[in-house]
Amino acid sequence: MSHAEHNEIKIMAKAIVCEDCSLIGDITISPGCVIHPSATIIAEAGPIVLGENCIVEEYSTIAFRLPTDNKIDPAVEVRTLNIGANNVFEVGSRVEACHIGEKNVFESKCYVGPCVFVSSGCIIGAGVRLVSEQKLPENTVIYGRNCLQREAIDKHGSQTLQIDFLRKVLPNYHHLRKPNYDPKKMRIAT
Amino acid sequence: MANFMQNSVVSYACTCGLVNPITKLFFCRHCLKLRCGFCVCHEVDSHFCSNCLENIPSSEAKHKKNCCTNCFNCPCCQHTLSARATMVVVPKKTDDSPKEGEGDGVKAVTKKMYYLSCLGCRWTSRDVGIPDQNVATGAWPENECSYQTRFNALLEYYQAVVLQDKQEKQEYLRRKTPKAHKFPSLTDRTGLTVSMIRRQIGWPDKNTQKAKPVNITPSVATDELEDLPADVFTQPINLRNVSNIQQRHGQPSDQPFTVNKLYPQRRILWIKRSLRCRQCEHNVIKPEYHPTSVKYRIQLFANYHVPDVLLVRSEEVLHAGKSGSIILKLTNPTMHDMSIKIKELPTLSEELEMIEEFKLACKIKENTATSAAAESLKSITSSPSLTSTTLSRQTSLIEDPRIVQQKANVKLNNSELNFVLNQRDDSTEFDEDVQTPREEPEFIIWRKSNKVSIRLPFTTDESLKVGDLVKVGFTMEYTYVNTVTNTPTSHTLSARVFIDAGQILGE
Repeated sequence: MSHAEHNEIKIMAKAIVCEDCSLIGDITISPGCVIHPSATIIAEAGPIVLGENCIVEEYSTIAFRLPTDNKIDPAVEVRTLNIGANNVFEVGSRVEACHIGEKNVFESKCYVGPCVFVSSGCIIGAGVRLVSEQKLPENTVIYGRNCLQREAIDKHGSQTLQIDFLRKVLPNYHHLRKPNYDPKKMRIAT
Repeated sequence: MANFMQNSVVSYACTCGLVNPITKLFFCRHCLKLRCGFCVCHEVDSHFCSNCLENIPSSEAKHKKNCCTNCFNCPCCQHTLSARATMVVVPKKTDDSPKEGEGDGVKAVTKKMYYLSCLGCRWTSRDVGIPDQNVATGAWPENECSYQTRFNALLEYYQAVVLQDKQEKQEYLRRKTPKAHKFPSLTDRTGLTVSMIRRQIGWPDKNTQKAKPVNITPSVATDELEDLPADVFTQPINLRNVSNIQQRHGQPSDQPFTVNKLYPQRRILWIKRSLRCRQCEHNVIKPEYHPTSVKYRIQLFANYHVPDVLLVRSEEVLHAGKSGSIILKLTNPTMHDMSIKIKELPTLSEELEMIEEFKLACKIKENTATSAAAESLKSITSSPSLTSTTLSRQTSLIEDPRIVQQKANVKLNNSELNFVLNQRDDSTEFDEDVQTPREEPEFIIWRKSNKVSIRLPFTTDESLKVGDLVKVGFTMEYTYVNTVTNTPTSHTLSARVFIDAGQILGE
């Protein structure tokens, strides 16, 4: 709980973070990320580091929860949730995964439980609920009501067009949080 | 309409004795009877693709094996595939500048290429190695399975067999029928044709050459099978590469075992169908022809003609052998006042009588119909070869009426409830004046425009156990004004209604 109490949010240059989103805990947002209004990021069990060029859409939640069964004191053992680059968290998704690699897409209204290990290039389909403990191999696509799995052979398209568009449009209509952290400067200062 | 998608607690017995919710019943305005899906002829009106909404004539649909030419389904999740465009850089050789250096002769040109992609499971046509196409529709390769030629040969052969069979049968019939008279009568001037003369002197018909099926090589069963590979027992199976049942059934011609042999499947056409009463052969449902239209030209759904019964609530906790009551809401959908009489269901003997009556009516109808058909056939053609071909419409088989399976397990307290249900008037909502309360029988709780709420008291059977479902059943007699005839005539019709009132509770 100690992390949740003092918010320590580091926003790097070129990241677009809207003011209306709620960021709780120790969160680092890398350059090129886009955080929409009403998005929620909760770093409860430890710090969250959001990789480059991630999109976090409206009403989506990324949470790094304290495990309920075995009590780890966050003050003693600090783990960091490193979220890779180029992930997309679509509208209303709720992701509590313990590891998130690169280039994943979490489609609308999906739920990924805390025991799920998400590697890279995965697509969690709209409305899919992943609850049990599992490790998703690379390029897994989970779709449909019955959560059928398949392996994507072809790489899905990158989100560069979308992220460029958002970077252009969002500042016109929303108040943004100012970047407050520059890794180069910090290194010079220390 | 509250019960359109889920199981309804109120159901009506069709004339044939099957029980259905009112949303699945039709009302024939000519027979003045309820009809269910089994009591109507289903006829295909038109074929269309549900994705591109293109109307396809039935002959063309048959030729295309009832599939749309432009639309595809995902072989992985059976969703509709959509064409996506990508820009591809293609090197282009320019011939008109040969003098320049060779390096400049190759120019890069961006070109639009299309591939198919599923928005549900992200399957793409590139997954199975289908090359991208220049055009979005029409040029996708047909996936043919390995034994397509064999299949076509078999198809051809059996079509020929059918044809030969038919011809032999005709020949046999022709020889069997006694020659009525050797010479055509002089009065029958128009009946004499070349083919008739040929037939009378016993020559075969000129234009019918004997169809002879081409020989096919029969399949031979073999008991030499390849042994299973040794690693089948040792290697862990990767279920992601194995196709599932749905995927295999989606591709029936080859039913691939692995995922990498799934090909886009042509989308199966949908139909618009019209329904025809089997007894009077009038249309009950006829949709508009155009695929984009969801309207009907004829729509005789039962809930436009029969008073709709809704269960509002059960008044008391139900115990076996005790009295209970339910509150029903009845709605008059027609433009005429209805007087309604609610009484006990017919007894078994009465029901049997009804069935007999119905059968008799059908038989009379059928006899007249067949004799009329025979008459018309005789008048149309004098040659016997044509009689075997079906000239008339599909002969309608009337669903055999049966005793209603559903049994009520309560007894109504009142032998009869009589009341009037007002006509439907859409403008009453906007009327200023409040209806003056009038003298109402005590079972009527509430009344507004064409709706009425009644309390139906009953006594449940002694034999019911805890947890049993209480079925309230009654015959509802209602007056129906028939507007098909020139002068509107009033009829008293009856419907048998069954209601689930709830379970018997313990003490």
